[in-house]
Amino acid sequence: MFRFNPNRKAVEKGFLFTIGLLTVVAVLPLFYILYTVTLKGLPVILKRGTIFFTGTFSEGGIGPAIAGTFLLTFLSSLIGVPLALMVGMYSYENPRSVLGRWTKTLLEIMMEFPTILVGIFVMAVLVIPMGTYSAIAGAFALVIILLPYVAVYTHEAMRGIPFTYKEAGYALGLTRIKVLFRILAPMAKRGVLTGVLIGIAKAAGETAPLLFTAGGLYESYPTSITKPVGTIPLLIYQLIQSPSPQDHATAWGASLVLMVIFIAVFIPLRMSLKEVKL
Amino acid sequence: MEAMRKLDMFDIISFPVILVIFLLFAGMLFVFFKNALPALEHFGIDLYIKNIWQAASVPQKEVYGIAAALWGSFYTSLIAILISLPISAAFSVFIVDYAPRGLKNTLAILSDVMAGLPTIIYGIWGAFILVPFLRHWVMEPLYRYFSFIPFFHYPPVGGYSYFSAGVLLAIMITPFVSAIIREAYQMIPFTYREAAYAVGATKFEATRILLGYIKPAVVSGIILGFGRAVGETIAVSLVIGNTFNLTYKLFAPGYTISSLIANQFGNAFLYTYMTSTLFAAGLALFAIGLTVNIIGIHMLRRWEKNVQV
Repeated sequence: MFRFNPNRKAVEKGFLFTIGLLTVVAVLPLFYILYTVTLKGLPVILKRGTIFFTGTFSEGGIGPAIAGTFLLTFLSSLIGVPLALMVGMYSYENPRSVLGRWTKTLLEIMMEFPTILVGIFVMAVLVIPMGTYSAIAGAFALVIILLPYVAVYTHEAMRGIPFTYKEAGYALGLTRIKVLFRILAPMAKRGVLTGVLIGIAKAAGETAPLLFTAGGLYESYPTSITKPVGTIPLLIYQLIQSPSPQDHATAWGASLVLMVIFIAVFIPLRMSLKEVKL
Repeated sequence: MEAMRKLDMFDIISFPVILVIFLLFAGMLFVFFKNALPALEHFGIDLYIKNIWQAASVPQKEVYGIAAALWGSFYTSLIAILISLPISAAFSVFIVDYAPRGLKNTLAILSDVMAGLPTIIYGIWGAFILVPFLRHWVMEPLYRYFSFIPFFHYPPVGGYSYFSAGVLLAIMITPFVSAIIREAYQMIPFTYREAAYAVGATKFEATRILLGYIKPAVVSGIILGFGRAVGETIAVSLVIGNTFNLTYKLFAPGYTISSLIANQFGNAFLYTYMTSTLFAAGLALFAIGLTVNIIGIHMLRRWEKNVQV
């Protein structure tokens, strides 16, 4: 290693060039994707106009899928966010206890867990006993997806608050629950909200956990949470596998809608933060 | 000491929630095991080591072995990591050491957008754009001129193959792997950099020394990236070709465990053992995912602890 190498400067040049080149290679796919989805999706949306956003599938629209995505996201955050807040606070309050540490580890594992397994688990415990795909089964699957994100962000946000605030709360004679919910939680609001939004963004874009839980509904708007429901990613997945070019066009249009929703939520969120966990 | 503390309202509210989360996870393992049992009993170890997929209306004639899917999961993830690692490392080094301040932030944001982008978007792009692109510019030339190399000796008919899946996975995990490497690379004390340059190292030599210093973080990045790739379902199932094919040939279509489940689960209820077989496949994926992630998370934590001293 310490032999004198007359080519050191040349190697350095080559190295810098390679680093730069590989950096371009790393982000190039994103631009290619943004470009393609816009190029293929925009004409479809422009051609069909507002019917694309409101119409049913046979009218050439993805209205029910958009409604279904919002319904499932809403249901899953309604159930998942309060649970996740409690879990996050628990692991913040018990950083040294065995159960507290295990909770933190479990959350990290859940973040990385293959999402298709969540889907067939929910199928086995909810869909089969109920005898039908349903919005509530889909929402339950998404709760498992979103919970670890919200919990981990809650944990991190609360950990960032100086300890003195907690002491001040206790010094006033407040109970632990008051200290947590009245003092720490409002201070950690931003971090918690970030977690909620990231969790929602993840849940809204998921396909695999919904494959065998939500079922799909594209010819009419969802009316009941015990009946099947469709979402944008699920619709795209099913349309890609269809041979008809008409369906592919709809898939590209739906992809553009999904991408725009994601970017509209994600970019402002990311700009206001130093780093995110995904 | 803490155990002696009196229980308060917070414990009473939060403890059941924690219990539910753990029970949910244990319940998942139980459900997979219970549902996999009929196939495990019926086929034994053959289920995991044979490559056969014979659906039949008569239960006695049904034979399943998911070796090809297990291999496919491993192979595609390996391809993905091999492609992704140099790119991720270079990307991290560029962001930390060489990018001007404004570009630094932009690149980090772009990388995070890529990490969070819904996988179905990668799927549609992969199936309609990436696969034809790879077939035309990579697979066909390699097959035409280098087919004497066994890896390339398979006609890339549709383009849907292990290779396409590996490349798409590489694109998807690169932001994730590079985020882990980047974070570690940033944490290296500044004095180490100064020391490297003070003894006259070139930029290349300094980077090599510094990357050596964060080796444990790089390894855990590889492991966690592998875990992500193994679990990815949607995008992979759209580009891998969904064929039972136990081969190392890159351009052959194949299956992965997750794409097998996604593809076959819908009609599995028509057969006696297929559902159970798919749960057994899920159980294998469960075990792989759990092991890989526990090792990766554990290594990363231990390394972070060492650095923070």
